Amino acid sequence: MNRIALVAAVAVVAVLAAAGPFLSGYALAVVYQTLVYLALAYGWNIISGYAGYFSFGQITFFGIGAYVTALSVTNAHLDWRLGALLGGLVSMALALPIGAIMLRLRGPFFSLGMLGLAQTVRVLISSSEAMGGGTGIYLPVSVNPLVVYEWTLGVAAFAFAVTVAIDRSAFGLRLRALREDQQVAGTLGVDVTGAKIRAFLISALIPGLLGGGYAMYLTLVEPVSAFSTRLELQSIVMTVFGGIGTVWGPLVGGIVMSQISEALWARFPQAYLMIFGGLLVLFLIVLPRGVVPAIADRLKKRGGPRSFTPQAAPAARETVA
Amino acid sequence: MALTLAQLTIDGLLLGGIYALSALGFNMIFGVMRVVNLSHGQFVVLAALLAAWAYSTYHVSPLVTLPVAVAIAFVLGALVHRFLLRRLPADTSSQEAVSLTLTFGLSYFLAGAGLAIFGGTFRAVPYLTGAFSVGPFSIGQARLLAFVAAAVLTALLAVFLRVTPIGRAIRATSQHLEGAMTCGIDVDAVRTFSFALGSAIAAAAGCLLSLVYTLNPEEGGIFTLNAFAVVAIGGLGSYAGALVGAAILGLATSYTAYFTNAQLSEAAPYVIFVLVLLVLPAGLLGRRTA
Repeated sequence: MNRIALVAAVAVVAVLAAAGPFLSGYALAVVYQTLVYLALAYGWNIISGYAGYFSFGQITFFGIGAYVTALSVTNAHLDWRLGALLGGLVSMALALPIGAIMLRLRGPFFSLGMLGLAQTVRVLISSSEAMGGGTGIYLPVSVNPLVVYEWTLGVAAFAFAVTVAIDRSAFGLRLRALREDQQVAGTLGVDVTGAKIRAFLISALIPGLLGGGYAMYLTLVEPVSAFSTRLELQSIVMTVFGGIGTVWGPLVGGIVMSQISEALWARFPQAYLMIFGGLLVLFLIVLPRGVVPAIADRLKKRGGPRSFTPQAAPAARETVA
Repeated sequence: MALTLAQLTIDGLLLGGIYALSALGFNMIFGVMRVVNLSHGQFVVLAALLAAWAYSTYHVSPLVTLPVAVAIAFVLGALVHRFLLRRLPADTSSQEAVSLTLTFGLSYFLAGAGLAIFGGTFRAVPYLTGAFSVGPFSIGQARLLAFVAAAVLTALLAVFLRVTPIGRAIRATSQHLEGAMTCGIDVDAVRTFSFALGSAIAAAAGCLLSLVYTLNPEEGGIFTLNAFAVVAIGGLGSYAGALVGAAILGLATSYTAYFTNAQLSEAAPYVIFVLVLLVLPAGLLGRRTA
C-alpha cells in the first residue's frame, strides 16, 4: 500500500514536470503557488511535527533565501539558480547558530523566540539601505516563470523525499522520541541536541531554497512579502489540517488549503487573515491530529485488529513548581 | 547630552508603566494555565483602536472608553477559554504546543477582524497633547496620565490578587495545581476567570497605549513580544520582577527610538529577550520543568 503511494508520488512529480510547458499562464501560477505552500509545509513539518518544536518563524529562512538570491543576482551577476542554491545554503549555515540558541528553549519559549526572530530580521532589513530598505530590491524581469516553476517543483519533491526518508529512518524515530519526552529520549542514548539541530537545519534549508525562486517570480524582494506572515500562517494551517508529523499530512493539507486560499485571496483579501486564523483554531479543536491520521485510523479499523496507535497517550503530566 | 538622557529616561519609565500593566495580564494567564497567549497583543491593539475610534468619532476620552473595552475583552476572553482552549484534548504530550498554536491562529483572527472593523490605517488619539515643564524636563500630559492610570490599575490588581477569595484562588492555582484542587478550588472556573481577566487587562493597557502610540490592527505581534520580554526578564510568575522588566523595556524602547529610529526600537524587546536567554537560559526554563 505504502509502496504504491510512493510510486504514485514519483509519477505525479514526473507528470507535473512534463506538463509545465503546456500549462496556461494562470494554471502555471496556481500550481506554482501550491508547490510553494507544499514545500513550506513540509519544511515546517520536520522541526515542528517530527521534533515537536513548534516554530512560528521558519519564514525567516524563506526571506533570507530571497535576499541572498537578490543580492547575488544584482551585485555578483550570478545565475539566479546558483543564487537560490546559495540562499538555501546560507539559510542552513545561519540556522546552525540560531538553532543552537533557540533550541535550548522549550515549548512556548522556542515558538515565541522564532516568531520574534522573523519580525526582528524583517525590521533590520527594512532599515538597512544596502538591502533596499522598505522598498526592496528590483530584479531583472528576464526570468522565464517556467524555470522558476521547475525549480520549485524540484524543491517540493526534495522536501517530500527528505520527509519520507526521515519518517522511515532511525533519525525520524529519534526525533519522535524526543518529541514525546526529551529526558527519556536522552536517557535512552539519543543525542537530543544533535538530532534537534539537524532537524532544524533541514527545516531551514527548504524555505531557504524556495525564497530565491519566489523573489525571481515576483521580480522584487521586499521585507513584507519575503518575511510574509501570511505564508507562515498558511504553511502551519496546512500541516495542522493534514496531520502534523506525518508524511502525507502536508500534501493533503497543502493541496486542499491552497485551493481555498486561492479562492479567498482573490475575492476577500480583507477577510483572508481572519478566515485562515479562524480555520487554524477550528482544526485544532475538531481535528487535532489532522485529516490523514483520522482517515488512516478508520482504514485500519476496517482492515482488522491492528490496535497499535503511535500516539499512545502518556499520563497527564502536570507542572509542579 | 546628560539632559537628553535624563529626558529619555523619564519617557522610558513612563512607558514602562503601561508595559507593566500589559505584562501583568500575560503573566497571569501563563501562571494559571501554562498557556502563552499569543493573541495578547491583539487584545492590546484592538482596545487601542477602539479608544482611538471613539475619540475621533465622539470625542470620548480613552479613559472613558477603557471600562467599555475592558468589559468587552473580559467577555471575549471568557468565551475564548470556555469554547476554544478548554476543548483542546488534554492527554497528548504536545498539549502545550497545541494551545500555543491555537492562540497563534486566534491572533490572526483578531488581526483580521480588526482590519475589517477599523481598516488598515494607523490611528492615534490627539488628546492632551500638551506637556508639563518640570525644571529643564518636559513631561507629556498624555504619557503621564497613561502612566498614572496604569500604576493605579496595577496596584488595584495587586490588592485584588492578595485580598479577595478569587484572587487567592488564582494565586493558589498558579503556585500549585494539585494543591489548589485538593483545597477545593474549582480550577476550571479559575482558568476561565483568569483568561478573561488577563484579556481585560490587555485591553486596559491598550486604551492607555492609544494615548502614546500610533497603531494599526497588524501591530499586535509587537505587544505580545513586549509582554513576553517583560515577563522573561522579570521571571515568570514574579509580579515584582515584571515591574523591573517593564522598566528596562521602556527605557530600551525610549533610548533606541532616539538614537536609531522608530523601526529599530521595535526590535529592542526582542534583542533584550535574546540576551536574557543567552545569559540565563536555565532561569527561564527553571519554572516549568517538573
